[in-house]
Amino acid sequence: MGIQEQYRKEAAELLSSGEVKLVIGYGEGSTAERRRPVFVRSAEYVSRLVLDGSCVANLSSYLVPEGLLSDGKKVAVFLKPDGIRSINILAAESQLDPEQVVILGFDIEGGQAAPLPGRKASDFTALIGSLKSAGLSPELQKDADRLEQMSASERFGYWKEQFSKCIKCYACRQVCPMCYCRRCIVDVNQPQWINTSSHTLGNFEWNIIRAFHLAGRCVSCGGCDRSCPVNIPLRLINHRMAKEALDTFGHYAGESAEQQPVLATFRQEDPETFIL
Amino acid sequence: MAKIGVFVCHCGENIASMVDTAKLTATIADHPGVTVSSEYKYFCSDPGQETVKKAIRENGLTGVVVAACSPRMHEQTFRKACAEAGLNPYMLELANIREQCSWVHTDRDEATEKAIEITRSLVEKVKRNNDLKPISVPVTRRAMVIGGGVAGIQAAIDIASAGREVVLVEREPSIGGHMAQLSETFPTLDCSQCILTPRMVEALQHPNITMMTYSEVEEVDGYIGNFTVKVRRKARYVRMETCTGCGDCIQKCPVKKIPSDFECGLGNRTAIYTPFAQAVPNVPVIDRTRCTYFKNGKCKICQKTCQIDSIDFDQQDRIETVEVGAIVVATGFQVQNTAIYGEYGYGRYKDVVTGLHFERLASASGPTAGKILRPSDGKEPETVVFIQCAGSRDAAKGVKYCSKICCMYTAKHAMLYAHKVHHGNSQIFYMDIRAAGKGYDEFTRRAIEEDEAGYIRGRVSRVFEENGKLIVRGADTLLGRPVEVVADMVVLATAMVPQPDAKDFAKRIGIGYDEYGFFNEAHLKLRPVETATAGIYLCGACQSPKDIPDSVAQASAAAAKVLGLFSKEQLEREPVIASVTDATCAGCWGCVIACPYNAIDRKDITDRNGNVVKRVASVNPGLCQGCGTCVTFCRSNSIDLAGFTEKQIFAEVMAL
Repeated sequence: MGIQEQYRKEAAELLSSGEVKLVIGYGEGSTAERRRPVFVRSAEYVSRLVLDGSCVANLSSYLVPEGLLSDGKKVAVFLKPDGIRSINILAAESQLDPEQVVILGFDIEGGQAAPLPGRKASDFTALIGSLKSAGLSPELQKDADRLEQMSASERFGYWKEQFSKCIKCYACRQVCPMCYCRRCIVDVNQPQWINTSSHTLGNFEWNIIRAFHLAGRCVSCGGCDRSCPVNIPLRLINHRMAKEALDTFGHYAGESAEQQPVLATFRQEDPETFIL
Repeated sequence: MAKIGVFVCHCGENIASMVDTAKLTATIADHPGVTVSSEYKYFCSDPGQETVKKAIRENGLTGVVVAACSPRMHEQTFRKACAEAGLNPYMLELANIREQCSWVHTDRDEATEKAIEITRSLVEKVKRNNDLKPISVPVTRRAMVIGGGVAGIQAAIDIASAGREVVLVEREPSIGGHMAQLSETFPTLDCSQCILTPRMVEALQHPNITMMTYSEVEEVDGYIGNFTVKVRRKARYVRMETCTGCGDCIQKCPVKKIPSDFECGLGNRTAIYTPFAQAVPNVPVIDRTRCTYFKNGKCKICQKTCQIDSIDFDQQDRIETVEVGAIVVATGFQVQNTAIYGEYGYGRYKDVVTGLHFERLASASGPTAGKILRPSDGKEPETVVFIQCAGSRDAAKGVKYCSKICCMYTAKHAMLYAHKVHHGNSQIFYMDIRAAGKGYDEFTRRAIEEDEAGYIRGRVSRVFEENGKLIVRGADTLLGRPVEVVADMVVLATAMVPQPDAKDFAKRIGIGYDEYGFFNEAHLKLRPVETATAGIYLCGACQSPKDIPDSVAQASAAAAKVLGLFSKEQLEREPVIASVTDATCAGCWGCVIACPYNAIDRKDITDRNGNVVKRVASVNPGLCQGCGTCVTFCRSNSIDLAGFTEKQIFAEVMAL
């Protein structure tokens, strides 16, 4: 039995036994490589679930809409390790109770989906620990290194060009599991800190504020990159912030549901290199 | 409609020499909303303030901008003036065109332009200011003094005698501190214990003092007027309530050969012990690490000996929570470990001792009953060499600072030695003789002239043993030649250093410290007993090396500050505090974690039937210090700071 059949069966069991009220998974998309989220509420529809090497999106963002978990019932979600880390962060930030999330874990190895054992976020602690020691997304490192080697003004020029493309559609925000605020700072207009028209200054303000808001929280799922209609490599900015958090404070986003936010905590051994 | 008055101050020449104040005044006069714009030599002066008040009354001003110095300097002055003229004091802004403009620029035109921008930006801010009212918070009129040395004792007695409750916390089994170890004190040579023990007893018996000995402060929460302190009451294994201090248990304890810290290792103590005979309170403690019962489960001789059943092996450490309004830190110092000087042989030769050892040898209550006998063979030393600055003023090996007391106590040691060993010969190696203080120089002269202390100006390079004598090699820099003294005993004037855990302690209670670990005062000259944390005060050698007169004077000063704080039942606090917008708070609790004052709680929002629909952050106005940390952390921009609202700051920035 392939992984898809196996997980369909598990989803059907979870639903028919009443353990979960909903399964969030992947379904057929508009092309052969595309997958879209499907929400299955009854065992008879589990055949709509697809699980293969194209299932890359981080579905944890579908857990945070207001009211979904307020009845205390459980929801099952298909999650890769990055999504499981997102669950930990959302739990640490009190946006959900990890006990309500049943994880149907998998990873993509060699273009194929492979099962991961465990049902609760805490079952994956060892796995996340090994990911931490493996370092931040090696596939991103090449592009990141290229940016690091630029001079500050070259790098600024690079981002200026990239951001000039931004049309402020906020797809990056909508797809991101960390962007759960009921009112985003970009929507504040008294006073209007962030210029909403899509010229470079406002685009800079928006994208850099988002990068700061993701510092120590981004799990490099790549959702923002994929959703960007004008192909801004947003993951590279978040990668840089994640690297800073890891190198400076040993903070790897989503290690556990008890992790404290890196920008709000202070430890006596924190380096204070910025104090002259 | 805004009616703003702008008052441009010359600050004598401080501002006027670099900023064209006439141009500034004229330019700002045309800014929308500005009703009055005037300049004057010193607006902080009485007639200057009168001008401001008059302008407020006559023009019905809704806001005031004084373009002058830093708000740290005169914000309070002008707030008061506004209030006297009937304007809410928080409708005032100070545009800093001195520290941030005239003082730091050299081009008059550019500085003038900058001054105009700064002032304009504050005009835009003040248009958006709101009336604010000071917050009153109750003051717990009880103080905690941490450290029961002479400074702590003095501070406690002073506060208690003025009618306020004091909790005196001491981590050792007895109060007294280092002063209890001293023999006689300079410059009057009165016996240290004779003058200290009456104060110790006074502190114990004072109805307003609660003494917590063998206790350590674990955690301090809260803020001025309202601190919550967690104190660890270490298990004594002796019941304080019933013990009479008869000492039978100490007599009978079979473990007798434990080097006593109080005697600097020159004497021994038992496993159940009081640090010294005059201990206050006179209740022993059991040293768990040395007690036979705790090690092997057998013995209990003390328990069998005790006639009133005061030994309790089952006691546990317990945490006591104390509410206080002010804290006096008097945690004292330690003597530097002189083993860092291998060439002086401390630790290798028994007869190379520190100044504190010598105090114990010279003390009537010490291990030799006041006779100067050298530790190795108990003989009276014929020649004693004293080495000053053995650690102090030595950037390479010791500490950079002067320990302040060593010149005086070395002179005293030479004097005591001369008084006790009439034929004795003392030689003192010194760098300088620092004897500034009432009767101090006279004292060192007396040591030299009457008691024949030999002073050799120079450093010692080496001390080594030969034929049972200590050979001290050094230089006499006044005569420009090497010196060698054959001595029976060498006394090192070791440096005074902070307590080893001083930095940790400072972090725990939230005060600053310097590179060594001495606690930082708020201002070295003008606020020497306050810390930067309101409501926490300093006295004694925890702030810097000090002798007894200085420590006691500072203790009384700290007590005066505490009593000043306690003179009112309510404390007026600045209304510059944060508040949360319930509708947009996402409840991530990042602010709760980020807040350094624990001022943010979780609040339930309920519907009309009482069902919780949402939990949001909520700022406790009594605890908030208005630092703004939460404002910067909040991703959804749901927190705002009164007096520095986003609208105000935005207007300020946009006016530039």
